Amino acid sequence: MALISRSCSGFLAQLSSLTHHKAFSVSTAAAAIQKMTRVRVVDNSPLGSTPWHRSPRVIHVYTKNGVGKVGDRVLLAIKGGKKKALIVGHKMPGERMNPRFDSNNVVLIEDNGNPTGTRIKVPLPTHLRKMEGDYSKLLAIASRFV
Amino acid sequence: MYVLHCSRQFVSQILSHNVLRGYTGVVRGACLISKARRSTTFLYRRYTCLASQQMHPHLSAFYNGIRRYYSDSPGKLLAQQDEYEMQSDSSQRNPQEDFNISVLVSLLRQENAADICVIKVPEDIKYTDYFIVVSGSSSRHLRAMALYAIKVKDGDPHANIEGKDAEDWMCIDFGRMVVHFMLPETREVYELEKLWTLRSLDEQLSSIPVETLPEDFIYGADVNVTK
Repeated sequence: MALISRSCSGFLAQLSSLTHHKAFSVSTAAAAIQKMTRVRVVDNSPLGSTPWHRSPRVIHVYTKNGVGKVGDRVLLAIKGGKKKALIVGHKMPGERMNPRFDSNNVVLIEDNGNPTGTRIKVPLPTHLRKMEGDYSKLLAIASRFV
Repeated sequence: MYVLHCSRQFVSQILSHNVLRGYTGVVRGACLISKARRSTTFLYRRYTCLASQQMHPHLSAFYNGIRRYYSDSPGKLLAQQDEYEMQSDSSQRNPQEDFNISVLVSLLRQENAADICVIKVPEDIKYTDYFIVVSGSSSRHLRAMALYAIKVKDGDPHANIEGKDAEDWMCIDFGRMVVHFMLPETREVYELEKLWTLRSLDEQLSSIPVETLPEDFIYGADVNVTK
């Protein structure tokens, strides 16, 4: 049922684009990361890579408001347990010259701040370096910067 | 010695290609290591030794990958003591920065840091100029080294110790240089030197399975679907 409605909405979107021929692309509005957001774990930790019937979800955002942007720590419910993580990219557009990602990316972190995985294949934003916080460890295990 | 082991594996891979038979003399000479401190220059020096020779065609792509990471001209064999003067061909850097990296390395030596590994990061990776990984004997040793480094550089307002509550890994970002203080066990787990020298050829990176999208994937189609 969900699959049919999913494919329908995509099909309709394509139909409308064929008939109307806009000169610009339109995308859905995307919010930043909050509770119950499904996220994508982008490091090579075993916890993030093994499949599970539910995707990892955010259950708490450690900011003053409950909204998580790049560089904020969150608590994930992953594989039946809780794990802290750090947001490294979201679908919501931020500042003008900062990259926007097509998926809400997150890197798993221990309680002391050490990353759980050892490599990150997905590109990380370079403005992480300017932000206040412990991001040098993530930048050290990253392979690409954007 | 950790650095020696990984460089030995690396070199043995090269030798197994039967290309460098003529150069085994050079490599064996480079394998004799006397002290822990001097092993830091070894990884570096061996790469430049190899890169400076004429390359056989089927390994040339590989060596070009290695050579890219060193901005010094390939024709030079470098002296052992001056690991941070190696890339000083392009003398566009002002002496102030060289002064700081040499100060940092000398103070790390003074603090009895083990396995100092200084990696010169190429300009295309716009992160930093020098990437330093240092081991310590205990977490108190790491903390003492980090605090002393900050104290020496107390002009910089942005240099703070990251990972203060982690016992095994601390790092400081000094702009042009990034220093990582790790325990030897942590260093073995993360293998930062391997990542930062072999940038995309790193084995941990290549062992991550390639992610493919499913055939029925439509971008943005799962936004309004409620479970």
